[in-house]
Amino acid sequence: MTETSEDKRIRRKRAAAAVGALAMLVAMLAALPWLVSDYSLSLLLNLICYLVLTIAWALFSGTTRLVSLATSAFYGVGMYTVAMLIKVLPLYAAFAVAIGAGAVLALIVGVLTLRISGMFFVIFSFGLSEMMRELMVWWEINQTHTMGRYVYVDFSTTKIYEHMLGLGVLVFLVGWLLRRSRFGLALLVIGEDETVARQVGINVPFAKVAIFIVSAMFMTLSGALMAPRFGFINPNFAFNPLVSFQVVIMAILGGLQQLWGPVLGVIPLIVLSEQLQTEFPFWYSVFLGLVFMVIVYFLPRGLTGLLEDGWAALGRPLDLPRGFSGPLRDAWALLSRPISLPRGIAGAIEDRWIKIMPRLTEKR
Amino acid sequence: MAALLEVEALRKAFGGLVAVNNMSLSVAPGEVLGLIGPNGSGKTTLLNLIAGTLRSDSGRILMDGEDVTALPNHLRVRKRINRTFQLVRAPPNLPAIATVMAGVLYGAGERVRFKDAGYEAAGWLGEMNVLTKADRRFDQLTYIEQKRVELARALATRPRVLLLDEWLSGLSPSELEGGISVVWSLAARGIAVILVEHVMTAVRALCHRVIVMNAGSKIAEGPPDAVLRDGEVIRAYLGDDDA
Repeated sequence: MTETSEDKRIRRKRAAAAVGALAMLVAMLAALPWLVSDYSLSLLLNLICYLVLTIAWALFSGTTRLVSLATSAFYGVGMYTVAMLIKVLPLYAAFAVAIGAGAVLALIVGVLTLRISGMFFVIFSFGLSEMMRELMVWWEINQTHTMGRYVYVDFSTTKIYEHMLGLGVLVFLVGWLLRRSRFGLALLVIGEDETVARQVGINVPFAKVAIFIVSAMFMTLSGALMAPRFGFINPNFAFNPLVSFQVVIMAILGGLQQLWGPVLGVIPLIVLSEQLQTEFPFWYSVFLGLVFMVIVYFLPRGLTGLLEDGWAALGRPLDLPRGFSGPLRDAWALLSRPISLPRGIAGAIEDRWIKIMPRLTEKR
Repeated sequence: MAALLEVEALRKAFGGLVAVNNMSLSVAPGEVLGLIGPNGSGKTTLLNLIAGTLRSDSGRILMDGEDVTALPNHLRVRKRINRTFQLVRAPPNLPAIATVMAGVLYGAGERVRFKDAGYEAAGWLGEMNVLTKADRRFDQLTYIEQKRVELARALATRPRVLLLDEWLSGLSPSELEGGISVVWSLAARGIAVILVEHVMTAVRALCHRVIVMNAGSKIAEGPPDAVLRDGEVIRAYLGDDDA
């Protein structure tokens, strides 16, 4: 049996609508540099950059469910390669070398990490980022006797923004195609159960390394594109581990079920980080930690999950067997219950923790 | 009948424990071969070795005359050997049809376009009588539905040799009857079936031939009725006194 002509018509119609909407959105975004202030433009650039990183992260981690903290390693390799090569190579050639370097690093790391999973992969990927940073610091101090690199090149913020937007469209398309392809389905099966994946004929190691490389190439290129944005780059800046953590939090705040999930995660965090970092620079990390706890505790499927639930609830008739006052009375009963702490505050915390633990360790 | 799958002197040890010792067997197209024995006698390990889930220490596995011993799991699937798992396995959070689609797309069948794979997968689910559950998450299905979906997943890869690891266990009498007829239909289609089973009704009803294992070795082989009367087999199951 194959697809009927009716199915085909519906599918084409939907695809056309989606492409049309996306094209309009991109056209609007592309026109923004001529409409907004320099400050807003740099905020927008930051936003699109994180969008690229987060979607690229979700390509790998959202499907295979291996939480990677190597984002800053690839982002940093991109940025630092450009910073090192800018004096000897034309800009676009430096970009190309950066992508190549990112891909090779991803290949090596991918092959090395094939057999590790879960918590061990998280630690390994974090270790990789830190190792790259320390390695570059060591190299610059002992071999080249510099503390960093100046990147003076004629590549305006507007140009970076337009390139980054193009990269955003590309990574979105890759994600979109992946959801409608044999390879994407294979990754989903691998993420849930590798043994079954092998048993349907999927070459598991190949698939994992391949998507890791694709994801890493997007991260590397976004780092490379950002290099001309900053006049001076040192290893500690390029390989900032906060990038990795932010990307993970943005991705799970948005939710991984939908391709556009990261958009919902990136926008609020970037806008807030901008506010907080200028006004209360030291509170940003605390805030990020709080957001993470709130997601894990209340929003295990992210904002998209919340939206989906809300949408489903709208379609359901209201279920209030005891009328509108029922839930209110329940809440009141809960509040007016006397506080009882038979084992003290520490005991209460312990009980709470036992409840939360399974959620923290649960496979998403 | 010429053998389709031949296993020669297969051996697997876990540390000092020899789980499978010098096992040889062969199975022909359309034949149902029963593999029985007490718990821990190495039946599942033998299936794991044939499917490629585990690697053997020594011995050979020939599929249609071709040596597949060195091939990893996913390539044996493409050589048309597939299996079900003792504890039913499929991606728990994906719709039931998704794994079957993966089987259609990555198995040994003809190359299908992604958008047509869903229709073919639906066909397999229909054949296993679980089409109405196609878009349910796998972990929301009942036990027998899960078993049928798993079999549909295995069939979607177009196996010529199918290894069923206690596929008929844990079923109610009426479900068992349905299950037996499903296995019959597989054999009638020309698939060589190797059945690891504790349910003797099913073994008697289905198997052309039975191999009895104990402590990793073959202790008897032959038609089910003759083998189940064999003194050594009874000893292996019940101990010396009852033989």
